[in-house]
Amino acid sequence: MKKLLSILILAAVAALPLRASVAAPARESYVMHFDSDWKIVSGLPEKAMLIGLQGLANRTAPRLYIVHAADFPWEITGPLKDFYERKHGVHFTELKTADEALAHLAQYAKGYIVWDPAVMPTMNVAYTIAGLEDGIIVTPALIPLAERHGLKLIDDLRGRYDDKTDAQIYTDAKARYWARCSHDKLMLLGGHRGDIRIPGIADWGVREKMFFHDLSANPIHADELALEKQFFSELNPGGTIFGWHVYGKDTEEQHTTLISTYGLKMEGLQSLPNLSYNCQFTFTPGFKFTNNHNVARDAKLTAQGKVYISFVQSDGIGIGVWTKPGRGRIPLAWGAIMGWVKFSPAALEYFHESATPMDYFIGGLSGPSYMYPNHIPANRFGLLMKEANDLMAALDERIFEIMDNSAADGNVGNADLTKETVDRYYAAFPNVMGFINGYGPARTRDLRDSRPLISYDYYIDPRRPREEVTADMNELIALNPKRPYFLLVHVRESNDVNSLVGVIKQLQGPVEVVPLDVFMKYAADKKTYTTRYQLPTDPKHFKGY
Amino acid sequence: MKRTLLHLFLAAWLLPLAVFAADPAFNGRWRLDTERSTALDGWSTLDLVITVDGPKVTLFHDLTWHATKVTATNVVDTAQATTAKDFFRLDQRHMAVYARPGEETPVTAGWLDAGRTLRVEAQVPLETSQGNTTMRLYQEYRLIEGDNELVLIELHNTRSRPLVYLFTRVPAEAAKK
Repeated sequence: MKKLLSILILAAVAALPLRASVAAPARESYVMHFDSDWKIVSGLPEKAMLIGLQGLANRTAPRLYIVHAADFPWEITGPLKDFYERKHGVHFTELKTADEALAHLAQYAKGYIVWDPAVMPTMNVAYTIAGLEDGIIVTPALIPLAERHGLKLIDDLRGRYDDKTDAQIYTDAKARYWARCSHDKLMLLGGHRGDIRIPGIADWGVREKMFFHDLSANPIHADELALEKQFFSELNPGGTIFGWHVYGKDTEEQHTTLISTYGLKMEGLQSLPNLSYNCQFTFTPGFKFTNNHNVARDAKLTAQGKVYISFVQSDGIGIGVWTKPGRGRIPLAWGAIMGWVKFSPAALEYFHESATPMDYFIGGLSGPSYMYPNHIPANRFGLLMKEANDLMAALDERIFEIMDNSAADGNVGNADLTKETVDRYYAAFPNVMGFINGYGPARTRDLRDSRPLISYDYYIDPRRPREEVTADMNELIALNPKRPYFLLVHVRESNDVNSLVGVIKQLQGPVEVVPLDVFMKYAADKKTYTTRYQLPTDPKHFKGY
Repeated sequence: MKRTLLHLFLAAWLLPLAVFAADPAFNGRWRLDTERSTALDGWSTLDLVITVDGPKVTLFHDLTWHATKVTATNVVDTAQATTAKDFFRLDQRHMAVYARPGEETPVTAGWLDAGRTLRVEAQVPLETSQGNTTMRLYQEYRLIEGDNELVLIELHNTRSRPLVYLFTRVPAEAAKK
C-alpha cells in the first residue's frame, strides 16, 4: 500500500512541470551566506574556520553548503543551491552566524587547531592537521568560540614556525603529517598574497585528508621547488593537485609545467567552493548528457568563400560569462571541467540543464584536467588521455581543447605544440572531430583524416575596448585574404556576450559566426591555413624543469 | 665667378640640411602614457628613446611585460630608403600576427612640419595563419607644443582604425636611473 502511495505521489509530482524532475525525497542541509570580506585581519579567520568545518561536516553526508557573494569568482553557488532544491529535493536551513554553525555542526569535529595570522603558512599546516585529526582551525581570537562548543585543543602552531622560511615550515610539516595524508590528492592552497586569502576549496582538502601547502614552482625559490618536487614524486601515479599557485611567488605557467612534468593533473582554483558537498550528489535518475551537436560526426560540409568565426570560452565554466546576460544570442563553445564528473556532477548537470541551443560543450583542457602536454611524460600520456576520452564520452563531447602555455609570455614566447605532441593527440583521440589549441593566439595547425587542429587566431581581453576588438578582428580578416578564412576566437571568462554581438555587427566582409563543430567541418573541407608546429627556433620564455 | 660658384655650392649643400633638419627636442627618453593611448596588449610598459644623428634616427624601444624585459631598435634614415633586418613593430599579443625573424623590411623616413614630425613607412613581413604576408605600416611621430609630449600615430593598410600612442618626456635625470 505504501509502495502504491509512493508511486501515486511520484506520478502526481511528475505531472507538475517545474517539479517534474524531483527525483529524491527531501533531504536536509544547512546553508551559510558568505560576504566578500576575505581580509586576514577581519573576515578570513572565521571563514577559514567555517570552510574547514564544512569539510568535516560533509565527510559522511552533504550537510553544509555555502553561497558566496555576487562578486565571488565562482558565480554559480546561488543557482546551484536552487538546483539542489529543485532537482535533488534538498531543504536548506540557513545558519546565520559562526556560533550557529558550531552549535549544529561542532559534533563532527573533535577539537581545534590554532594558527597564527602573522605566519600565514600556519593556516595551511592547520588545515592539514584538521583533516587528519578532525579539527577546526581557529585564530587565537576564535578559541573562546570553539571552546564554548565543547571543542578541545588539538594543536597550537603559535611560535612553532616563527622566523622560519616557507620551505622550512613545510619540510617540518611533511615530516610530521605527510605519511598519513592522501597520496592521490595534494592541496596547493595558493592564490592571493598580501592582505587577503580565499581558501574556498579547503573543505575538500580537509574532507579528503590532503596535505596543504603553498610552495613555489619558481626556480628562484630553489628550496621550495625541491620540496614540491619531492611531494610530486611521492604522489601516486595519476594524482591530482587541487587549488592554485601563489600569485606573485610563481606563475601559473611554471606550476602547471611542473605538475605536467610529473604526469599529474591540476584542478583549480583555490577559491572553488563546496566540493565536499557537491561530490556527494550523482546525476539525477535518467539524466544523460546530450550535447547540442549541430552536425553529424561523419558529416561532410562544403565551405564557402567566407570568413568563418567561432567563439570558445574555456576559462573554467562557472566563472564569468555563463551567468551574464546575453548567453544564447550567439553560438559559443564551453570548456566544461571534465573532472567534475567525479567531483561535482550536479554542477555539470546544472550547466547542461541551463544550456541554450547555442551553447556547445567541448572537452579539455589538454587532458582529463588542466595540463601542459609538451611536458607530459610519454609513458603517462596514453593513460591520461584514455581518462580524458572516457570523460568526453560521458559528457557527449566531440571536440578536444589543448593548451600549453609553458613557453608563453605576453608578446614573447609561444603557446604551440611540438609535432610529437600533435602526433600523440591524433593517436590518442581517434573519435574526436577535431582539436583546438591555445589560450591566447597560437600557431599550431594541422589537418589529418578530415580532423583539423586549429589554434586561436584571436583572444578577447575583457578590458580591451570593443572598438579595438572590432578593429583587431577586421585586421585579421584583411591579413588573411584567402577564403574561407577560419578565425577561431577565445573569449576570456569575464567578457559578456552582449558586447560580442556588438562587435560582430561591425565586422567587415562575408562573415558568418558558426558553432564550433560546424567550424571544424568547414575547416576540414578547405584547408586555407598552414600546417605548423612549435619550431625549435620559436622563442621560449620558460624552457621547463 | 668663384664667389658665385661657392654660393651655389653652399646652397646646394645646405638646402637638404634645411629640409631634413629635425627638431632637437625629439632627442631623449619618452614614456608611454597607457591611460591616454590605444590599449597596448602584451606589453606592460614602453619607453621610447629617440636619438637623432644627422639623417639617421634611432628608435630604441624599452619594453616590459611583468618581469620580462625586451629591447628593440629601429634605425631609420631620413636621407635615403633603406632595408632593416628584424624591423620592430608594436605587436598586439592577442592577434595571431607574428614577425618573421631575420627578414628584411623596406623602410623610408623623412621630416615633415619643419622637422617636428618624423614620418616612417615600412613594408613589414609577417606570418599569419594563412602563411606569409606583408603589412604596409605608416607612422608619424609628432612633437606636441611644449616639447614634453610626443604622439605616435600608426596606420596599417589592413586596419581602418589608427593606433595612437601618447608619450611624455622622461626628465634627463630620471632617464639615467
